Amino acid sequence: MSLIVADDLVKEFSRPVRAEGAFAGVRSLFTTKRVTNRAVDGVSLRIEPGEIVGYLGPNGAGKSTTIKMLTGVLVPTSGTVTVNGIVPWRDRSANARTIGAVFGQRTQLWLDLPLRDSFDVLAKLYGVGPFAYRRTLDEFVDLLDMGSFLDRPARNLSLGQRMRGDLVAAMLHEPPVLYLDEPTVGLDVVAKARIREFIRERNRTAGTTVLLTTHDIGDVEQLCDRVVIIDDGRTLFDGDLGALRRTYLPHRTLTVELSEPEPHGWSIDDVHHAGTRAHHEATLLELRFDPGVVSTSEAISRTTATLPVADLTVREPELEEVITEIYTAREVRRVG
Amino acid sequence: MSADPDDSAAARTFGEGLALRATLVRQGTRSVLVFRTDLFVGIVSTLLRVVLVLLVWRAVYGDRTEVSGIAREDAIGYAVLGVLFAAAMQPWQFSSLRDRVRTGNVVFDIMRPVGLITQSTADQLGTTLASLPKAVVGLTLALVLGVVPGPSTAWQTVAFAVSSLLGLVIAIQCNLIVGLTAFWTTEIGGAYLVYGMAAAFCSGSLIPLWLMPDGLAAVLRALPFSAQIFTPLSIWFDRDPGWNVLGELALQAGWIVVLALAAHLVWLRALRRTVINGG
Repeated sequence: MSLIVADDLVKEFSRPVRAEGAFAGVRSLFTTKRVTNRAVDGVSLRIEPGEIVGYLGPNGAGKSTTIKMLTGVLVPTSGTVTVNGIVPWRDRSANARTIGAVFGQRTQLWLDLPLRDSFDVLAKLYGVGPFAYRRTLDEFVDLLDMGSFLDRPARNLSLGQRMRGDLVAAMLHEPPVLYLDEPTVGLDVVAKARIREFIRERNRTAGTTVLLTTHDIGDVEQLCDRVVIIDDGRTLFDGDLGALRRTYLPHRTLTVELSEPEPHGWSIDDVHHAGTRAHHEATLLELRFDPGVVSTSEAISRTTATLPVADLTVREPELEEVITEIYTAREVRRVG
Repeated sequence: MSADPDDSAAARTFGEGLALRATLVRQGTRSVLVFRTDLFVGIVSTLLRVVLVLLVWRAVYGDRTEVSGIAREDAIGYAVLGVLFAAAMQPWQFSSLRDRVRTGNVVFDIMRPVGLITQSTADQLGTTLASLPKAVVGLTLALVLGVVPGPSTAWQTVAFAVSSLLGLVIAIQCNLIVGLTAFWTTEIGGAYLVYGMAAAFCSGSLIPLWLMPDGLAAVLRALPFSAQIFTPLSIWFDRDPGWNVLGELALQAGWIVVLALAAHLVWLRALRRTVINGG
């Protein structure tokens, strides 16, 4: 059975309507009208043990709200959710031992006290025995290279150090499920790499299942086997990275370096001109083809037959382009 | 301290539950004491307040030895003790719950295997313990100046100590319930301000309830605020403590049960409408 099962999750928030016109500010105070905003609109998810799933979507898509329902903090307006067989919001304390969470924009550390104190308290809160606590803490501190700042107050730590602290805080009780809501936001490349390495390591050695929201393509490419993309509270895509590329940007790009000046009026069947740019002395042509229509080898042989090719590379669309495509499409949909 | 719907204390042994609470309390205390300068400033300000009320009440009494049946030394002693109780039990910042709801960090409290009520009350108890040094230094000054009379009997001292403890529990419960309203309104600075003034007045920490008009005094005695500070202080100044003291203690215990139930209900409703601020 899947570890995380969500069916038709819906979460609505309602807030007072803001009045318009004369004395809007005062009238807003007394309005009894409310508007309902559907942050999550029928999301269904199945996550198997040991998966690392990227949960993507533009700002305000409903990612964090979904995660808050999975953690049991928010009660769904409708729909069902179970994590490890537990209904999170109904049985919070049993659920708490199953999950760990990092919300990159917040911290669960006691800011005024040394990092180590926060860990001590959390170990007690989660009932981690002294032996297990020492073992996990040593291991994590080693993995994340935290020895030098363990005794400093969390308030004085850099963002990268604090985030590592929060990651350890979420994992001390070794939960089978880890929710990461933008765990690398604002971090430098080294700090990001450390955090990714830690996540991968926990996934590999302890089989930790991870649901990760991020705006960092590197996180997705390096960690996730599978991505779920939502927007406006609805699932747009659920599948592996290859399928995502094939679905949204099926084309491949051929970059051709010409050995002679570009001939006039050339054309190649099923291969399209996408751009020309100069690179040092040479001229680079960007060509596109759809591997569903013409195979890569065929596209290359047609190209070399038509153009004076000195060098040639083929690449898949960058994940970033794919995501941009999806997010932009929604803007188009909204405007249109 | 209060029954907590989310607390899995049942899964732990009693001893473990107690050790856990002690840890949370200590964490609350240390979070305050880490700011040493703030503690020293707090001590100085408490001493100043003791001296100020001393001067004010001496001026109020002038040459009189008694006003409305209250002896001069009792009124002055009461006012000084009232300042010290308020310093310990009615802090400027009642609970971190307010900030945690505003910033959305409360998400972590809700996610933990120990309920928010347990975490919040333990934290408040810790904060209160951290303000005890202020009260102790103030009390020492008051005793040195001879403005606070010692209790007459051992039984009165014990009753006073028990009543103070019960009063502290009631104060923490009231603070908690006000703090929980943040789940509805997000910003409760105003609520805290009103509550702070109401508590200071109604608990009798500013003016003894003895001096209030009869009708008002009766209303105030029927509210939980008076059980926070006025009850222990009135036991201290009772010239002839008898069985009525037991009644007072029972009343405080009753308030604790009622407030625990109220906090429990408010929290259950708050949970259903929780909104976590921020992305």
